[in-house]
Formats: sequence, structure tokens, C-alpha cells
Amino acid sequence: MTTVLATAIIVVALLAAAHALVTALRDRPMGVDHLVVLGVLEVLLVAQAVVGFVKLADDQGPRSPATFVGYLLAVLLIPAAGAGWGLLERSRYGPGVLVVACLAVAVMIVRMNQIWSGTGV
Amino acid sequence: MSEPEGVRPGARAGAGARAGAEARTGTAGTGGATGTGPGRLLVAVYAVFALAAGARAGVQIGTKFSDAPLAYTLSALAAAVYVLATVALARGGRTSFRLAVAACSVELAGVLVVGTLSLVDSAAFPDETVWSGYGRGYGFVPLVLPVVGLLWLRRTARSGGGTLAGDGRPAGGG
Repeated sequence: MTTVLATAIIVVALLAAAHALVTALRDRPMGVDHLVVLGVLEVLLVAQAVVGFVKLADDQGPRSPATFVGYLLAVLLIPAAGAGWGLLERSRYGPGVLVVACLAVAVMIVRMNQIWSGTGV
Repeated sequence: MSEPEGVRPGARAGAGARAGAEARTGTAGTGGATGTGPGRLLVAVYAVFALAAGARAGVQIGTKFSDAPLAYTLSALAAAVYVLATVALARGGRTSFRLAVAACSVELAGVLVVGTLSLVDSAAFPDETVWSGYGRGYGFVPLVLPVVGLLWLRRTARSGGGTLAGDGRPAGGG
């Protein structure tokens, strides 16, 4: 894992969560702006997956990488699934779903950092 | 949406109306099926936990099942319950409602029993599961989630939405 990329993802995820939360509190449904932010998040996550696999192939990272690989791939699903599930709801709970999804991404990145560095496993 | 040929009109109307009711209550925002309005958040959280528990169980069973067969089997059971609850809550309708109640109840019992056992007899649980220590590894969300789920199910049932609305309405979708 690269610290820069992980930090960037956490920051974007938290900003996206805050943005969606504001939308939900204002009682508005999801819009194109949310999809753009989620797209940025997804691109960063794909970049992280690529970097992660390259580093694993280079024998860096945790000794048993199964859990890490699981996170690396599972986290890719979250923004896409959140967008789809949120778009179905044309009320404030659409962006509400995005708050949950983005916070989940941030938590998963923190957890991946722990697994990568071997702390708190 | 593919419809099987020669399906009975009643069954078809039921399925169609359920999808229609879901779409309609989506715009209304509250009440109705269990997977719309605030329920959509619940389903989202459940989905995250289904993914988390499922991935964890998969890794545990795939790489080191013999280390702690009991804990890992429980992990897989927890994952299955989360998946079932997610799908049942998302779909809505009468059968799904019952499934969701059952899944949330099993989940509540599971987190209480496994949580207690993991503290009392920690030797049997050398590795964490989602339900260990009442879900403390996951911010105690596994303990809160089934309670919220059951309360939400009770509320949708009371508002007359979730369980019955789909069956009475004419086919709007499908």
C-alpha cells in the first residue's frame, strides 16, 4: 500500500460522505454530482488495487495476503453498489446510502493499512 | 424482467405489484416496502456486513479451517444470515418479510450467544468472528443492527406497507 494513495482515498471518501450527508439533510435525491465524486473514488480504488497487486507480486506486504486481497477487491464493489442502490431511491435516503457506502470505504482502507503493516490483525 | 410462460394470473399480479409498490413508495420516501425510504439505509448497512462477514468467512475457511472449525463455521453462518437479511429486506413482500424477521432474530440470538461464549470460553474462539465480543471488532454494529432491523420491520408492518400492500394492488410494474 502507498500511504499517499490510501490517504487520498480516505480524504475523498470522507468528503464524498459529507457531501452526500449534506444532500440528505437538505432532503434532496442523488444527482450527477454524486456520481462524479463516486467515479473519482472508484478510479482511486482501482489504482490502489493495481498498485497493491504489483507490490504483492514484488513480495511486499503481509505474509498471508488472502485477507488483504479480499479487501482490495471487495472495496471496489462498494461505490458501484452504493450508486446503484442509491439511484433507485429518489428521496433523501438515496444520498443516505452513499454516506454509508463512503464511510464503509474509509473504514476498509484504514483496516487495509493495518493488515498491510501487520498491526491489529 | 423475464416472465415464465403459462404463469397463473394471480401469481403474476402479485410479483408485479410488489415491484410496482417498491418503485412507488420510493418516491413517497416513507412506509411501504422494507427496502425503501429509511429501509434503504438499513439494507445498505446489511449489505456491507454481508460482504464483510462473507469475505472474512471465505478467507478463514479457505486458508485455515482446521485452526478453529467452530469459530469459522459460525463465521460462515453469520455471513449467510447477513446475506439472507439483506436480500429479504431489499425485496420486500410477504415472504421476504417473514424471512427478514427470522434472519434478524437468528442474528440477534447469534450475536448474544456467540458474544457471550467468546468472552466466557475464549479457547473455543481463538480467532475473531463478526459476532465475537458482541461485535466489538465492528464497532458493536452487529449488536445494534438486528435490533434496528426488527424495529424497522415492526414499523413497516404497522404502517400497513411492507407485508400486505404489494398483494392488494394491481400490477403496476413487472
